[in-house]
Amino acid sequence: MNILSKLNSPFMYLICGLIILFVSIVCVVFIIRAWRAGKAIGMDTKKMRTTVVSSATFAVVPSIGILLGVIALSGSLGTPWPWLRLSVIGALHYETTVAEAAAQAIGMKTLSASEMTASGFSTIALLMSFCIMWGMVLSIFFNKKYSNALKGNTKKKKNGKPSKFKGFGDLAMTAMFIGLVSAYIGSYIGDFISGGGKLFSFSGDWVPLGVVVVSGLCMAFFIWLSEKKNVKWVDNFSIAVSMLVGMAAAIGLKQI
Amino acid sequence: MSNNPETKTARTADETFEKYSNRTHVIGRISCLVTLILLLSAPFVIGSYLGGMPDMGAFGKGFLSIGIVWMISSIAEYLIYTPMLGSGGGYLAFITGNLINMKIPCAINARDIVGTKTGTKENEIISTLSIATSSLVTILVLAIGVACLVPLQPVLQSPTLQPAFDSVVPALFGAMAYKYYRGHMNIALYPLIFMAVLFMLIPSLVSNTSMMILPSGLIAILVAYRIFKKGQEPQVTPPSDPEDLS
Repeated sequence: MNILSKLNSPFMYLICGLIILFVSIVCVVFIIRAWRAGKAIGMDTKKMRTTVVSSATFAVVPSIGILLGVIALSGSLGTPWPWLRLSVIGALHYETTVAEAAAQAIGMKTLSASEMTASGFSTIALLMSFCIMWGMVLSIFFNKKYSNALKGNTKKKKNGKPSKFKGFGDLAMTAMFIGLVSAYIGSYIGDFISGGGKLFSFSGDWVPLGVVVVSGLCMAFFIWLSEKKNVKWVDNFSIAVSMLVGMAAAIGLKQI
Repeated sequence: MSNNPETKTARTADETFEKYSNRTHVIGRISCLVTLILLLSAPFVIGSYLGGMPDMGAFGKGFLSIGIVWMISSIAEYLIYTPMLGSGGGYLAFITGNLINMKIPCAINARDIVGTKTGTKENEIISTLSIATSSLVTILVLAIGVACLVPLQPVLQSPTLQPAFDSVVPALFGAMAYKYYRGHMNIALYPLIFMAVLFMLIPSLVSNTSMMILPSGLIAILVAYRIFKKGQEPQVTPPSDPEDLS
């Protein structure tokens, strides 16, 4: 039995499947508890249902992208381990880069099944798990304190005066998200203008920028439908469909 | 103390939510801890099955070369994203991962659709529902995908469709950008121009875009705070929001 057959064996599926099952149960517990708590505090169940439907439709397209990460890694690490990593804790941009870097750190030329050994695999697997665990570690120790400190920003100060940040929380979160999106769009602009190997050569990859424009225009159309034509149900699907249109446009843009 | 039925109902809701919140922290911590133990012990169990345990010397070397960067990045992610995710959503998002390309946009989108405000009980519930649902969908899609890997592989790896699958993130951020820029162009312009110019001048930074989220977000927050202060100047401080967590 070669290493790749072992990495794709039923035992590997069992180990990884059990961990994924545990995390799925955690998700179900959180949904049930949040739903019940929402009802108990008098929240509109229609709002909660809308959240579940919109989040489910939202998640389908990026999940297919994540599945591609599993396929990309399955050639060198087998299928079960990337399946586990990308279902639990992992991130698409993280796994591929860390797996490659971990392989090099343990002395492999590149991440490939031909160079893989049993010890090499378990070391890479441990590195992949260890390097990204800090969000969970911090959550265990500080989530409660941090959440309470954040709540304090919306409460009155001890001296009775309202915090100077009162009412800023919503705008701050929107601004942070705008910052996140801007970093990526800025990188597409920069890559197009200076990414061709020479500064300001306008010969870099323009497809991501084109995709941003197309999916943005599609989103504009959905918002117009929702706000001007009162077709509210499109809100639940607008992001997912805009993404699909943008991704489909990439195929055409690549041909130009 | 008031015996007004509405005040009583509000007090009961507060107490119920407080209990829910405390229990969420207990369940969240236990879930994180168990997941951590499972994930860190799996390589050893797999190692004993394969007949090769992890090489701790190589592990240490690997951690020093790549782990430190990801540790710093994870700490920054924790500080930035927890306020967006809420406490329940935070535990789940850090367990299930894929924050930038899914959990955060998904939670923000859900919050926007149902119209809840940051720091409210409603937002905490919506965020948890959104992140738990999207995590389950990812788990389901990956499970179906892995089960059908052989028949699906030619479609997913088709060279014709490759540009589409390479464009998941630009497509997501294009749609989200329109949604959030249109009402906040006065904020968006600054980080967008700054980042575009930065990436034009240092194109090698493109491969480290996730590291640039922090400065970009900081610029956006500073601009937003300036706008917020300006808008507040002529006004009297409004009364407390009844939805505040208290």
